[in-house]
Amino acid sequence: MDAFETFLDGGGIVEADDDMPDDYRRAVFAFIEMHANSELMGGLTERDWIPKTPGLRHKMSVLAKTQDEIGHGHLLYMVAAAMGVKTRPQMLEDLFAGKSRFHNVFHYQAVTWGDQVAIAFLVDAAALASQQAVFKNCSYGPYRRILKRIISEEGFHMRLGEDRMMRIAEGTDVQRQLFQDSIDRWFWPALQLFGPDSKPDDKLLRWHIKSERNEVLRDRWVQKFVPMLHSYGFTIPADDLFYDEATNQWDVGPIDWEPLKKTLAQGGPDSARRITEASNNWNRTAWVREALEQASATVPA
Amino acid sequence: MHTYEVFLKKDGRDEFRHAGALDAANDALAEVHARETYIRRAEGDRLWLVRRDHVIVADVDFVAPNADKPHRHHDGAAVAARRKANREASE
Repeated sequence: MDAFETFLDGGGIVEADDDMPDDYRRAVFAFIEMHANSELMGGLTERDWIPKTPGLRHKMSVLAKTQDEIGHGHLLYMVAAAMGVKTRPQMLEDLFAGKSRFHNVFHYQAVTWGDQVAIAFLVDAAALASQQAVFKNCSYGPYRRILKRIISEEGFHMRLGEDRMMRIAEGTDVQRQLFQDSIDRWFWPALQLFGPDSKPDDKLLRWHIKSERNEVLRDRWVQKFVPMLHSYGFTIPADDLFYDEATNQWDVGPIDWEPLKKTLAQGGPDSARRITEASNNWNRTAWVREALEQASATVPA
Repeated sequence: MHTYEVFLKKDGRDEFRHAGALDAANDALAEVHARETYIRRAEGDRLWLVRRDHVIVADVDFVAPNADKPHRHHDGAAVAARRKANREASE
């Protein structure tokens, strides 16, 4: 392990068929699997909104975003499967059985179009910041290469989110109140996506998967989004929020991590419904996979 | 199902590049899957798909010796030094 860590510290890149310590393989695999699961669960939510999205312009962007998210899931499951820990079907089975993790934000229900806007604006920005911090210095080559493409597409999503947010912010009082309610529901889950402060011995930091500590990324997000939401006349649902004149920094006060812990144990407000829906969706489409298996058995490749 | 490796290229630019992999039942479905997964925004206009079990992967140790053949290069430093020395001698 010492020689391997020296190799990583020197900027070494690990490829799928290289020898690597088992702990590294498992930790990197678990991280990519969670990312893949989150893209799939996010894509399914996005899909739910296709019929409900107001206006053709937004509807077309939601269609494109749905395809992107499901596409990201595909890319990541391929990279994860090549690590040889679980096959792609095993990962999906574990996800639908509630045995593996996905991001906290997909354990909540998007109730209004305002929620979808808040997700695209606040959550996609948080996810993008986390992914960029991994891309910057990721020691696992296949993940780093596929992140490049994912990040470029997530960039579109964030701009779409900002576009939607501005349209709603320039709307009627009813629209603005709808969006304020969405901020109140999604501010904390989005902030918690970064996770609690990184532990001093965080393996993902030591092995150059993550390049920045959770609290650093989280704070950067706070410094960007608090003033931006204020500038559009919205409020932040944090009682202890204050601006520190000495440091010129926003401080959101103490963070309650209980909701995050619940989502990690599949006990979030919408976890059960989400997992059941995803699982039902998988079962409903079994005939497609069976037809494909049939095709590969009968049609010469 | 077969796993396919995906290679993309923009016409007239650069070389084919590995973009990633996908699972598909046959070659025709692999093409559809590749188009919808890897070239949604015209990231390439040429597409190669190669079944992973047809890819010949050379052993790293077989490839390694050519990383240590300095005599196959010439960085020009020795020539530049001689030129400089000759120039200074003739001044």
